Amino acid sequence: MGVYVARRLITLVPVMLGISMVVFLAINLVPGNAVQIMLGIDATPEMQATLEHQLGLDRPLYVRYVLWLGRLLRGDLGRSIVTGRPVLAEIASRFGVTLQLTVLAIVLSVLVAIPLGIISALRQDSVIDFVTRIGALAGISLPGFAIGVLLILVASRFFGWYPPVGFVNLWDKPLEAAQILALPVVSLGMGLAASTSRMTRAMILEVLRQDYVRTARSKGLHERVVIYRHALKNAVIPIMTIVGMQVGYLLGGTVVVEEVFSLPGLGRLILTAIFKRDYPVLMASVLVVALAFALVNLVVDILYAFVDPRIKY
Amino acid sequence: MNKWKIGSAGITFLFIGLCLVLAGSVGLAQGASEGGVLLVAKDQEAVGFDPHKVPALSSIQIYQHLYNGLVDLDNNAEIVPELATSWETPDDTTYVFHLRKGVKFHNGREMTAEDVKYSFERILDPATASIAKSYYNKIQKIETPDKYTVKFILSEPYADFLTNLASVWGAIVAKEVVEKNGDLMKVDGGTGPFKLKEWVPDNYTLLEKNPDYFVKGQPRVDAIKHLVMKDESARVAAIRTGKVHITSLSPEMVPVLRRESGLVVISYPTLNYTYLAFNCRIKPFDDPRVRLAISYAIDRKLLADIVFKGEADLTGPISPAAKKWALPVSEYPSYTQNIAKAKALLAEAGYPNGFKTVIKTANSYNYMIDTAVAVQNQLKAVGISTEITLVEWGQYVDDWKKGNNEMMVGLNGSGTTPDRALHFFFHSTGTANVWGFKNSKYDELVERARVTLDDKKRHNLYAEAQRMLVNELAPNLFLASPYQFYVVTKNVHNFTPSAILGESVFKDVWLDK
Repeated sequence: MGVYVARRLITLVPVMLGISMVVFLAINLVPGNAVQIMLGIDATPEMQATLEHQLGLDRPLYVRYVLWLGRLLRGDLGRSIVTGRPVLAEIASRFGVTLQLTVLAIVLSVLVAIPLGIISALRQDSVIDFVTRIGALAGISLPGFAIGVLLILVASRFFGWYPPVGFVNLWDKPLEAAQILALPVVSLGMGLAASTSRMTRAMILEVLRQDYVRTARSKGLHERVVIYRHALKNAVIPIMTIVGMQVGYLLGGTVVVEEVFSLPGLGRLILTAIFKRDYPVLMASVLVVALAFALVNLVVDILYAFVDPRIKY
Repeated sequence: MNKWKIGSAGITFLFIGLCLVLAGSVGLAQGASEGGVLLVAKDQEAVGFDPHKVPALSSIQIYQHLYNGLVDLDNNAEIVPELATSWETPDDTTYVFHLRKGVKFHNGREMTAEDVKYSFERILDPATASIAKSYYNKIQKIETPDKYTVKFILSEPYADFLTNLASVWGAIVAKEVVEKNGDLMKVDGGTGPFKLKEWVPDNYTLLEKNPDYFVKGQPRVDAIKHLVMKDESARVAAIRTGKVHITSLSPEMVPVLRRESGLVVISYPTLNYTYLAFNCRIKPFDDPRVRLAISYAIDRKLLADIVFKGEADLTGPISPAAKKWALPVSEYPSYTQNIAKAKALLAEAGYPNGFKTVIKTANSYNYMIDTAVAVQNQLKAVGISTEITLVEWGQYVDDWKKGNNEMMVGLNGSGTTPDRALHFFFHSTGTANVWGFKNSKYDELVERARVTLDDKKRHNLYAEAQRMLVNELAPNLFLASPYQFYVVTKNVHNFTPSAILGESVFKDVWLDK
């Protein structure tokens, strides 16, 4: 296991390097640069040149990349070109917001999806199964931000309610944070629950057709034991995979929901960095997201071994 | 207990929990009291607060409350005292300002003539890369005969010098604050009505009242909290439920919110205008007759009605909101659509059947896209067929700067001085003349105007320059000057923004509870 984890971690190095190169080239090769966007129409060519020199943007691309990499190896992520703030501090504060959103949305989706998926599979083609399947289809079809905007409209127009404005962390002011996070978590969680419940239903149905389930039933085991000990345990691996992917996706992909609900998360930071060509912020943020994605998947892979003793690394 | 029951109980519990959270907050919202904190929802995040370095509007709207200049503009764009109580001009290139005594920076130190000298030297220092340098580059020398007197000696007469001093970029800053922090991006070194209390990036900025502000009775609220809420539906929901007091509004939302009883929609004309620009270096746009033909082919009134739902004024190169310098649009014959005249001009220029071209604009703003589409439709009548290219904002700025375009739709701010509207944008050496437009007669006119100190003579020169620009040369077509909209809750009083004052009026705003 230790060797396997070490090997996986080592393979991350070239992956991260590759990602950083692609992002660096992409952001620097598209037309427009940070200084132009920052200074706007009032910039004289001299002023632009001065600022580009001060920020090191007048150096060749490969020099800038190597310098950036050198600083990264020393643990320095640099400063934002636009705001001058340290990138590390910027990411740290945003990552917390996205993490709270991700964890709550995943918890909500799993709590809703797995029981619904199981019930749906056990009562195949019943009313509850149809309702769950239609709900899941709607949840998958409707993007999270659309659910978000609808929730905002319904809450403000019909209930005269809108969450407190300005973000606070759950650990600072739990009640206020719960109100702020309620709608975005529901908007994200519902979409995720839809796909997880479909996967759960499909896997349980498949497992229930297996010989060992028939054997378990014919041994006279209680249905609960059959479902939990035999069916769910065997169905859980693909479900874990999909939930793991969802965690990774949420860590970097909640941009629109963050935008709709005014949450200062990592997705919004990445989006702003792209628009403003703020490459130190963009590269560090993308690396953090990629790293988080890879680590979450690694953790899921490790968990497989605990859930299924047949899997060994 | 049956495990199924535990599962369903869990789900029920979760939903009840969510409902309780929502219900609890309804109660909170109803009982909430904001006290003296003015809550303003902004659609853009500030990038920093250094008045000499940051030109972004989202930042200006915050740092304008932290700083003062030597002078200010009133609602009619007339110069009024601010940190200077009076001034005299012994000759055409010398300005002597007498400073207000006892004005304190937010760190408690008194503001003196040395600070004024330091502030302008900082702007003029190339290392600062100050956006305001071109506003003040006629300053040759600054002297401080005593603690409360500052003397500016200019290299040549410059009629807009005082108006430029009133710009928010001419802020007087405390030297020690700059030196301690390197710049003023995250700190406040001003004398303004509010102090920077807290900045949580992409979340909120909190400004608190400066109790020592030199204007007695200002500001009237204890604090202003600027909240970043990029999505308009969120901002509208927040103001509907009383979670914020003020927010800006898009023209699309105006009719909806005007019908709501608890809210007040405020609109005012601005100094901005939308334009259709030509790359004057390339055919067929190097011929002024082609540009003028397009001007005659466009129905500006219809365009303003379509794009801005009528909430815009027709404009020349100086927006009508700039008042005294703007020529009335009745002076511009091409503002009455005349297809026959347009076709005749095109034929004269050698394009009797029109031509094909590309209109480039940014995909970030609906009004720009709508303007491009409206222009595209109107030009069909004279045989000009156009393709619209939408580009991302960063690329748009790059293409604008490099002249990588044929026709371009955009938005300019004509500014508070005619020099900016006419020299900066259209003189052959003007910083924002990216169109390759050159006309020596026009150049001479605006050069003469900027050194003419007599208001009446200058007015005539600028009037001639405007006529020339619209009626003969047409390097840009000035389309419409859109209104700005805010929506405020009914307990907000004295919020009277205008083209000249913008949001600086927050110092006069008060809230009833």
